[in-house]
Order: sequence, then structure tokens, then C-alpha cells
Amino acid sequence: MGNRLLVSGISFGRNCIGIVTRPYETYRRIVEHGSLLELAYIGVVLTMYFVVASIVKTSLLWPFLLTRQFIVLTSATALTFLFVVALFRIAGNLVGAKGTLRGLALGWGYSLLPTLAWFWMTSLLYIFLPPPRTTSSQGVAFSIVYLLVSATLLFWKVILSYLALRFSLRLDLGKIILVCAMVFPVLGFYTLLMYRLGIFRVPFI
Amino acid sequence: MTDTVYHKFVKRWEEITDIPPQTVGPLTPYYKRTVKRLKVMPWPMLVMSSLLIVSGLYVFFGSTITLLVSVLQRGF
Repeated sequence: MGNRLLVSGISFGRNCIGIVTRPYETYRRIVEHGSLLELAYIGVVLTMYFVVASIVKTSLLWPFLLTRQFIVLTSATALTFLFVVALFRIAGNLVGAKGTLRGLALGWGYSLLPTLAWFWMTSLLYIFLPPPRTTSSQGVAFSIVYLLVSATLLFWKVILSYLALRFSLRLDLGKIILVCAMVFPVLGFYTLLMYRLGIFRVPFI
Repeated sequence: MTDTVYHKFVKRWEEITDIPPQTVGPLTPYYKRTVKRLKVMPWPMLVMSSLLIVSGLYVFFGSTITLLVSVLQRGF
């Protein structure tokens, strides 16, 4: 078990670099050879963020509220992950997808890293440069840079999500668009629900 | 030794040809040209695309983009 954990840890580190520099090749490797233990490492990285996010969101160092916020964020993210994977699997089956659920879970798991990067950036900026932004030249310059980084991370996320569906469900572009057309409205409702419940304003998908 | 290399090659070949190449009708050459740049080190292309979109947003909305950023900054 110890050896498997170590090997998965090394694979996780290698894949984290790979999805930045060579996403296509890395995703093929993740889906074909990845171990489910790598999801545990992704979980650890996400948990570290939720600890910080709980403190930033709660703004109080009251253990009860912090623990409550932490549990809410972690459970909501885990639930969202399972829900999204299940949705893509069901929609994929409807268009004749092949492949494994393990591959899809791993592929989608790694695609959470751009999301995590955006949430880290937003949370840290919320501490150091809290909103609202003014229309002064500094405010506009900051906004342009912030949007630039956000859009770049979003495109990265789109590429990784596409690769996750392409390799894990063995779909072509047309079918991926069809699957997304089926899944996105449901995710839209889910996002609205998360917003109404006060869990995430921007969904952690 | 040669056998091992050959087997590795065959395994890799089967892995690569497992999914048929993507085609998009008459747009296939353009698609291939674009995708080639996204497969390895996609960042220059991602940043360029983002730059285009953000410039577009700034041209259309001007300093109102600060409002969007204020909303997004509270989005976590």
C-alpha cells in the first residue's frame, strides 16, 4: 500500500507538470494508466484550499463556524464531482460512448486543477486586494489582468475537460458537443441551487 | 532487447491508434493546425486568445469591466 501511494504520488506530480506543458499526451496517459489513488492526492490539494477558503469566507476564527464552512465546502465539491462524472457517463452512454468510469473520474479529477488555481487566485486577491474595484486607471488595469488570467485558466479548463471526455469516453468532437448540450443545462440548474444555498457563487466544477 | 523495444512500440502504436483521428469536414486542415499548437505548451495560444477576448470586453464595456471583476472576486 505504501509503495502504491508513493508511485501514485510521483505520477500525480508528473501529471500536474504534464497537464501544463503537454496536456494531450499527459491526458492519454492519465486515462490509460492512471491509478484511482491519484484522486486522493487531488482531494488533498483541494482540501488544503478549502481550509484557507473557510477562513477567508467566514472571516471569524470561531472553530464551530470554520468547521461547518469547511465541511460544507468539501462535501459540496465531492458531491459535485460525483454528480458531474455520473452526468457525463449517462450522457455519454446515450451517444454510444465506450471507455471506463475510472478513466472519466481521473480525467475529470485532473481538470479540477485549473478550477482550483482560479479559486486560489481569487481567494488570495480577496485578502490582499478586496473588491469592489474602482474605475480609476489602477482599478481598470487590475481588472484587465484579472480577466486575462481568468480567461486563460478557463481555456485551459476547457481543453482539459475536452481531453477528459475524448479519451475516457472515446468520443469525437461532434458527440462531445452533443454530450455537453445535454449536461450543461442540468449543471446550470445545479449551479443555481448551489448559489441559492449560499455554498458557491461560482461553481467548483 | 530488440523484442522488448518492438513490443513497446506496438503497445504505444495501439494506444495512439485506439481513437480515430478527429475530422471536421472541409475545416479539417485548419482544425489540425490549431490543435497542433494546443497539444504541446498551449499557453502562448491561450494567452493570445484571452488577450483578444479581454480587449474585446474592454472595447465594448470600457471601465464597466471593473464591475464584472468585483462580482467575480466575490465568487469563490
